[in-house]
Amino acid sequence: MTFRPWGMSKGLASSNNFGFITSMETNNSNAAVEVSSLTKVFKSGMRKTPLVAVRDVSFTVKTGEVYGLIGPNGCGKSTTMKIMLGLLKPTVGSASIFGQSSEAVGSRQNVGFLPENPYFYKHLTGRETLHFYGRLCGLAGSELKDRTETMLKLTGLQNAATRRVGGYSKGMLQRIGLAQALIHDPRLLILDEPTAGVDPVGSRTIRDLIFELKQRGITIVVTSHLLEQMQEVCDRVGIMSNGRMVREGKIEDLISVENQTEIILEDAPDELIREIRQLVDKHHSRVVTLGKPRTTLERLFIESTAQTDDREAP
Amino acid sequence: MSSPSSSLSTYSSFSLSRIWTLATNTVTQLLRMKILVFLAVFSVIVVAAGFSFPAMSPEQQLKLLKDVSLGALQIFSMVIAIAATALLLPRDLEDRTLYTILSKPVPRYEYLIGKLLGVLLLLGGGLLIMDLIFSSIVWLKQSLIISNQIAALRSEQQDVPDNIAAIKAFTGQYGLTWSLHAGVWSIFLKASVIAALSLLISCFASSTLFTIVVSLGFTIAGHGQQLMREWFVSKLSGFWEQTIGLVMTLICPDLSLFDLVEAAIRGDVIQLAALGSVTGMALLYIVGYTAVAYLFFADKEL
Repeated sequence: MTFRPWGMSKGLASSNNFGFITSMETNNSNAAVEVSSLTKVFKSGMRKTPLVAVRDVSFTVKTGEVYGLIGPNGCGKSTTMKIMLGLLKPTVGSASIFGQSSEAVGSRQNVGFLPENPYFYKHLTGRETLHFYGRLCGLAGSELKDRTETMLKLTGLQNAATRRVGGYSKGMLQRIGLAQALIHDPRLLILDEPTAGVDPVGSRTIRDLIFELKQRGITIVVTSHLLEQMQEVCDRVGIMSNGRMVREGKIEDLISVENQTEIILEDAPDELIREIRQLVDKHHSRVVTLGKPRTTLERLFIESTAQTDDREAP
Repeated sequence: MSSPSSSLSTYSSFSLSRIWTLATNTVTQLLRMKILVFLAVFSVIVVAAGFSFPAMSPEQQLKLLKDVSLGALQIFSMVIAIAATALLLPRDLEDRTLYTILSKPVPRYEYLIGKLLGVLLLLGGGLLIMDLIFSSIVWLKQSLIISNQIAALRSEQQDVPDNIAAIKAFTGQYGLTWSLHAGVWSIFLKASVIAALSLLISCFASSTLFTIVVSLGFTIAGHGQQLMREWFVSKLSGFWEQTIGLVMTLICPDLSLFDLVEAAIRGDVIQLAALGSVTGMALLYIVGYTAVAYLFFADKEL
């Protein structure tokens, strides 16, 4: 699969070098993220009872894997992510990034983070924003310049690079957020609701980008309420509820219905369908559903807008 | 294209480059918030004060110009120190910009130092420009007064070199001297201490408004700290006198220590030793407040 940057023609994108490292540095440990018996209690006012946001959560994300954390609002996903980033301290347990405690600032050297509904300094332009975050990551000179231009191209914000971020739409903020998360070419990318507020085309492009980054060996931890997309991109998921990890595992293990088989036929005549039904009856099996598959509304939207090229102008 | 990871392979726990990036970003942020509109207002006040009250005696005219201008400079620098600092941290937290900054390899102390340095750079730059405007007006006024006095001597046929030299020396004492710049430097030091204090307050404050109100309270109390200390301590003795006096000094900065402006207005010579001692005191306060601010900020749940 080839990732196509926003607003870029297919031919141009396929010949473009985005500057990612294609071969990953190997780590002694196979785990990119290790969360162990994590509990987070928020102490509140004297009269209120403490809030347990995360209860005894453990999971591991292997290097190069796309891991989805899903669950209803307030289930502890964002708190877990913040602990992984060292923005919060665990009450009990620990989190480590590539073997280094998440409380150590150095562990963030290899991490890119896109928060939910990101806001950036409104007074900076898109390019200045990337320069700012790049410098904080230790980039300088031509390396910073090249990397910034690459990220602007990747997220389709070249035409908006000189505009102040204060005037960006929600989708554009999400894109500049992704660009700043990737500016230092991190080995681990943490995305908190990356498609929140983004239109279906942008959302699909973010999904494609996740695929592209995965192919390049970048480990990704992502949360989203768009479960269909999570199902498409994630290797493994953890389902959280009330601060606990209630289910965890490979997507196919979690969602496959073991005693059912799905066959989709193209141009099948009625006679063939009849014969299949007879065969099914003969073997004492049962047809659960039979009908014409439908395209998704998302796919229909993307096809329709691609025809008219009616996408968000940068 | 070269791989960026090559430059990221080593992480340093203290980086001047990161601090400078945060500081310059803070300066840009405050400049684009048009905080230096104060500069224009100041210039108008100085020019107005410079060419008003022509009926007064020459030394009174110069004294009044310095009084009004340095007073305005003090007020503006304190307002900028409080407002600019109070805006920074709570706003970054409210806008969640802090998440993206601290999720990069940026230690929290570097973030605090960078923000404070940004405010100090803005204050220093602003005061330097205001000092230049102020000095130009004082010099212009002084030159006008001297030429008027020489013209008066000439009309009385008294314009001998001794008289002219005496006029120049007398008027110059009330005009532009190095002590005036020392006065401006003391204003910068005082504003810097207030900025560090505001940063400390903003580390545990819940909002920008709270930070502004509390910082303003401490600034007012800081100007009367000596009086308060005398009032409290006069009723105590020995160990308690010293302890309470020390605690009050630590909690609330004694801002009257930095009042060299009065001496500059009077035309007194400010000794370099006095200036050095005041600078050292300010540094102690700034470092102390920033260290305490870090203790609060290090454990802050974001």
